[in-house]
Amino acid sequence: MAVSDVISQRAYVAAPRRSAATRLLEDERWLAAALLLPTVILLGLFIAYPFAEGVWLSVTDARVGIPGHFVGLANFTALLHDSIFRVAVWNTFVYTAVATVFKLALGLWLALLLNRHFRGKAFTRAFVLLPFIIPTVLSTFAWKWMFDPTFSVINWSLFQLGLIHSRINWLGDPSLALISVIIVNVWRGVPFYAISLLAGLQTINPELQEAAAIDGARPWQRFWHVTWPLLLPVTMVVVLFSVIQTFADFQLVYVLTGGGPANATQLFATYAYQIGVGTGLLSEGAAVSLAMFPFLLIIVVVQLLYIRRVEVH
Amino acid sequence: MARIHRRKFLKLSAAGAAGGLAGILATGRAPAYAQGTTVHWLRWNDFVPSSDKVLREQIIPQAAKDLGITLNIEMINGNDIQARTTAAIQSGTGPDVICALNNWPQLYAASVAEVTDITEAIGKAQGGFYAESTAVANDGKRWLGVPWCIVGAENSYRKSWFEAVGATKFPETWDEYRAVGKKLKAKGQPIGQTLGHSFGDPPTFWYPFLWSFGGAEVDQSGKKVVLDSKQTLESVKYAVGFWKDCCDEGGLAWDDSSNNRAFLAGTISSTLNGASIYLLAKREPDKYQTEKGTPLYQDILHGRLPKGPAGQFSYQLPMTNMLMGYSKQQDAAKKFLAWITSKPVYQAWFDSQGGYSVGATTSWEQDPIWKKDPVMAPFRDVGRGAHFPGYPGPANRNAAEVLSKYIIIDMYAKAVQGMAAEDAVKWASGELQKIYT
Amino acid sequence: MIEGAKWRRWVYFYVPLGLFIFWLLFPFYWMLVTSVRPDRELYRPWMAPNYAPFWTAHPTLVHVTDLLTQTLFIRWMANTLFIAIVSTLISLFCGLLAGYALSRLKFPGGGALGTGIFITYLVPQTLLFIPLANIIRNFNLGDTPWALILTYPTFLIPFCTWLLMGYFKAIPRELEECARIDGATRWKAMLYIIFPIAVPGILSAGIFAFTLSWNEFIYALVFLSSAEQKTVSVGVTSELVRGDVFYWGQLMAGALLGSVPVAFIYSFFVEHYVAGLTGSVKG
Repeated sequence: MAVSDVISQRAYVAAPRRSAATRLLEDERWLAAALLLPTVILLGLFIAYPFAEGVWLSVTDARVGIPGHFVGLANFTALLHDSIFRVAVWNTFVYTAVATVFKLALGLWLALLLNRHFRGKAFTRAFVLLPFIIPTVLSTFAWKWMFDPTFSVINWSLFQLGLIHSRINWLGDPSLALISVIIVNVWRGVPFYAISLLAGLQTINPELQEAAAIDGARPWQRFWHVTWPLLLPVTMVVVLFSVIQTFADFQLVYVLTGGGPANATQLFATYAYQIGVGTGLLSEGAAVSLAMFPFLLIIVVVQLLYIRRVEVH
Repeated sequence: MARIHRRKFLKLSAAGAAGGLAGILATGRAPAYAQGTTVHWLRWNDFVPSSDKVLREQIIPQAAKDLGITLNIEMINGNDIQARTTAAIQSGTGPDVICALNNWPQLYAASVAEVTDITEAIGKAQGGFYAESTAVANDGKRWLGVPWCIVGAENSYRKSWFEAVGATKFPETWDEYRAVGKKLKAKGQPIGQTLGHSFGDPPTFWYPFLWSFGGAEVDQSGKKVVLDSKQTLESVKYAVGFWKDCCDEGGLAWDDSSNNRAFLAGTISSTLNGASIYLLAKREPDKYQTEKGTPLYQDILHGRLPKGPAGQFSYQLPMTNMLMGYSKQQDAAKKFLAWITSKPVYQAWFDSQGGYSVGATTSWEQDPIWKKDPVMAPFRDVGRGAHFPGYPGPANRNAAEVLSKYIIIDMYAKAVQGMAAEDAVKWASGELQKIYT
Repeated sequence: MIEGAKWRRWVYFYVPLGLFIFWLLFPFYWMLVTSVRPDRELYRPWMAPNYAPFWTAHPTLVHVTDLLTQTLFIRWMANTLFIAIVSTLISLFCGLLAGYALSRLKFPGGGALGTGIFITYLVPQTLLFIPLANIIRNFNLGDTPWALILTYPTFLIPFCTWLLMGYFKAIPRELEECARIDGATRWKAMLYIIFPIAVPGILSAGIFAFTLSWNEFIYALVFLSSAEQKTVSVGVTSELVRGDVFYWGQLMAGALLGSVPVAFIYSFFVEHYVAGLTGSVKG
């Protein structure tokens, strides 16, 4: 490690005199307060207030341009009886769960591959990121074009390979539509997982691996007993953020199917948008958006507890 | 105030009638506003690029000359207008004039400024508004916006393919259409109709389909849900058969643009759409050709949606310019609306559309444009007899909610995907009950 | 390196990597082909005998030149770049400080604050954008890049903070303690010992923050109105999706030009980021 290098740095040695501010910052509490100040201001201003307003909306009967009256939980009880809402909840869970599992598995695999030395490594690493870099709306248009029932290049390829004999209705078949949407989400998400996990892999000292290899551990054992436990904290954080994003995904479905056919791909966010913006029922739209919260909270608390447990070990 | 305004307006349109845009110039009125008054107009970007050009290169300078205002035209994707409108209304700032699609004026009724005087003057001068334009832009007491145009929807169909199966003109009834469609599908030339979630083509086909069988969402009062009827059930059952017999099953995934592409590519024989397919094929005859290598546009004709047991119906896409209540340029924006909808100014835009949009008033049926191209002639009077979702009740917020949740479309989609017709109707009826009570 | 016979390298390494690259990059190849394909060929159904999806006999640059000359594409790119860079820097700055405080300092309410920052990330955009429009108006930021630069950090900061917390936690406490015994202040220990070690983490947080803001759609759609201010996502979709006609060639050219240059920039970053990492590991 580079400890000796770092410690010999000039900047750090040259600190003989301390001002009042520096002394204040010696106190952990003051330092923490100073460090957190910008974040708290920004988030307080641009999240706390709009969030409060959103919560207020959800317990009123407000519509676009008409300030509402307090109606208690009426909007939420109405949702319980809303069949489209139930479909959206179910779809969101399937979408999030399936997409996350695939993103994690494929992302980890790709990270392990990219962690090796090969020619064109840097270039490959950067270009593998492309699906994550490209604006979602635009890449989704490309997928829409590839899934198009009339022009699908995917169908053409499968047909030429002899795998299918008639076209696959990627976005039109109700069960396939959700799968297609998931495929696009996984495509978009794998690079994110791969690069994050790659960064995690690189912090693992190769000597540990070598030591295990000398002890006669097989590659799979080495991965499972040496690499994976060390990778777990980073993995959990990545999964956490990805789950939240996937759960609240909007653009992808908005462009690809608009929630159709017959709500087969309707998600929380698209339904909230459809009601709040499409129909101007701001209060009910806010209620749908907010209904996401408890679900997300449960998922997140479970994950956070797990992360704590992992970190203790 | 209103009186003066109307007189000014009439003078303006009379002068304009004399000699187009030049006529307005000749009135030589001094600009009424201080330099720097800007009117911001948000509209969709329609598929006719030359119309955008007319707006940018002709109307904007003209507005500066005639009205002394700087006109700022913003064009965005039609799907995204509502998000902008909602945010603008809630924050009390945004475009002064928003060109709404469908019955959005009813959704934003609490947030639009009164334009009754200028609207009635325009209606009077131009032979009156179509019933559908009135239904979406008037709440029974006042005008919520100035109707702008109607985008006509007719069946674009392949003349030669229809003739090959013995149809020399477009079928008049659903039974005839189904018989023709069956033969065409057998030849690999199905009818293409969308059952997806998209704001244009799916509703403009399936609502009239429902009506033509005698089904309706609500009764005339708009209070009682009557969807769960024998007629609706009949239409759903018919739709399932029609879909199987005649339609390209990819349609479940189509948006408004998919059928255009499929038609231009020659994979479907007929589809309900705006005139965009024909106009695009005509604009670029080298690009779009038939399987024989002749220009595709020469093989396209237009026909009305067929009749059902209860008659012939249509739903065309109406557009309305709303003057937003939060706008600080009320006066200027109102004058602008009166000006741009007046005959001479509107004429320039109308001409550039080439028939893709028809006027919101009946006098545009007399325009010479309809004599230019016989293929476009069927669009001349599409505005007549068109209805809006909610029919025969009012085109109000509830109707818009049903529309934006795609309940009617999904009722058909569910049945087509295998749900029993009875269950599909029950489901849709239940959803409607929740919305209407 | 991989040990063993050559075929093992192929089975365990080249083939899977090749498949990954194919799957991840094929849509980009498809965009490329579509953007140079003349419209005539574009509208050929997949079962047509002359459907040649992977190449075109008559490549044309007309879509690309149309995109660059008929629309404000370059302007949109510049806007997006500016917005993404500034909001990323703001978020990194906040996230770095907050992440350090939350992971390495003990102070009352630390856990609660950490959770609070995290919770903000859960608030869905569909709920926020309408109330946010109000704030934007109050600050007179409507239709300026600042409307986005100041709102993007709301979803970037929680992300950066938490990612960096993970990195900070992985750095042994002894490093800092050694430095402090040698007489360094907390502030300097943070600045000169901990932050340099966290550079890879900062870089990856930066990359992802940048990408998230590069991708954003709803806020950009709602808060910007003039064509000159728009970002790539909003500009391209509003100009090239016209009624029921999509300008596929230009749309795909826009998608490609909107991502590949950034990938080139990333390729340098990734290099640095890997170099920095190996440097700190090997010493």
